[in-house]
Amino acid sequence: MAKRGRAALAVCSTAFTGLGRAQARSLGHPELPIAVIPHPFGIRTREEVRRIAEQCVADIARLAAGSKAA
Amino acid sequence: MSAGAAPQPRNKATERAQLIEAPDDFDELNRLFEERRWSDGLPIVPPTRERVTAMLGRTRRAPDSLVAAVAPAFGEASVERIAINAVMAGCKPDYLPVLIAAVEAIAAPEFNLQAIQATTNPVAVWIIISGPVAQRLKVNAGMNCLGQGSWANATIGRALRLVLQNIGGALPGEMDRATHGQPGKFSFCCAENEAESPWPPLHVEKGFAPDQNTVTVVGASGTVNMNTHAKDAGDVLRVIADTMAHGPSNDYWIGGEPWIIISPEHAHILGRDGLAKTDVRQRLWELSRMAAARMAVKDYERTQRARHDELGEIGPATLLPISPRPDLIGLVVAGGPGTHSVYVPSFGDTRSVTRAID
Repeated sequence: MAKRGRAALAVCSTAFTGLGRAQARSLGHPELPIAVIPHPFGIRTREEVRRIAEQCVADIARLAAGSKAA
Repeated sequence: MSAGAAPQPRNKATERAQLIEAPDDFDELNRLFEERRWSDGLPIVPPTRERVTAMLGRTRRAPDSLVAAVAPAFGEASVERIAINAVMAGCKPDYLPVLIAAVEAIAAPEFNLQAIQATTNPVAVWIIISGPVAQRLKVNAGMNCLGQGSWANATIGRALRLVLQNIGGALPGEMDRATHGQPGKFSFCCAENEAESPWPPLHVEKGFAPDQNTVTVVGASGTVNMNTHAKDAGDVLRVIADTMAHGPSNDYWIGGEPWIIISPEHAHILGRDGLAKTDVRQRLWELSRMAAARMAVKDYERTQRARHDELGEIGPATLLPISPRPDLIGLVVAGGPGTHSVYVPSFGDTRSVTRAID
């Protein structure tokens, strides 16, 4: 997608960042940007997840913009 | 000693496996395999050139021919790389065609290997061998068929695990994110007990000829024993269905493909009472419907989203079927004497796949 001029990135919680990086390498995209967010999610309330999203969204948008520029 | 190196992901299938110099000493060799994480945690049989060549002698396929790309690393499983892992697991050469068919089966899109390999769920790949080859290879379909003691069951299941790890790249703690895993991730393989089944064999049910041989792979989250002295089909099915219905279940929130391993004694009761497999499936599907309110609130909410297209609006009183259709309940007769059958809950987002053995 980045080659088509579109933003391409993955969002992984801390427990799955290693998997995300390994998966990106396996698929031939080691440069794929990965936004790392705190783990866990399954036990958090919807409100807690929303707060985390609000804290992370600006960083994710910056990462996406950088991906598109690249 | 020269040993065939464990396969590396992303190699071209046309490339032959590398030969590496490895220690002659058995303990030192196993230390090497431990350090490189090429084992499942148990000692391996050294995959020497001689042993791998002998293994390859039991297939007509070329060593460099590609069988499948194995998720999540999408390492290319050539016949030779499968053979190397088969040697490491202790397989006899005659087992290789079974293992090749199993690798073909796990790579089918509907099996969803990508998710099965990388999930936190304990899901393991259960191999069911059906057809005359099971007896020829002495794959245990009877007493203790899921336990220890049969060379074929133990090593075929182990070899597939090594393929999943060494070619597919699912190393525990890395790409394999299982919270606990399960013992079935070491080996999970049995044959169908066709001699004790009142129904047509599994491979015939799947559309193969009686004299053909098949491998079926199932994304199995575990095994739950069901011991019942029930004397009639209605009673047997009622308690099996009660066991299937539980709140924290992937099958219910996604609509899965659960399996039941029917013991010969329970199969005899069901057959005696005139039930075909389709009847058993229909009855289990109806009896195992579970009120959505039995789920945790969050699981209920995600079920509402996941199964909306299938079931429409889901309320607390909605009776959720365990699978979208009755025919998605897997049934196979296996095991020995005794009043035990086994419930095999599935990963949910997976469908079993059957492939012919060459």
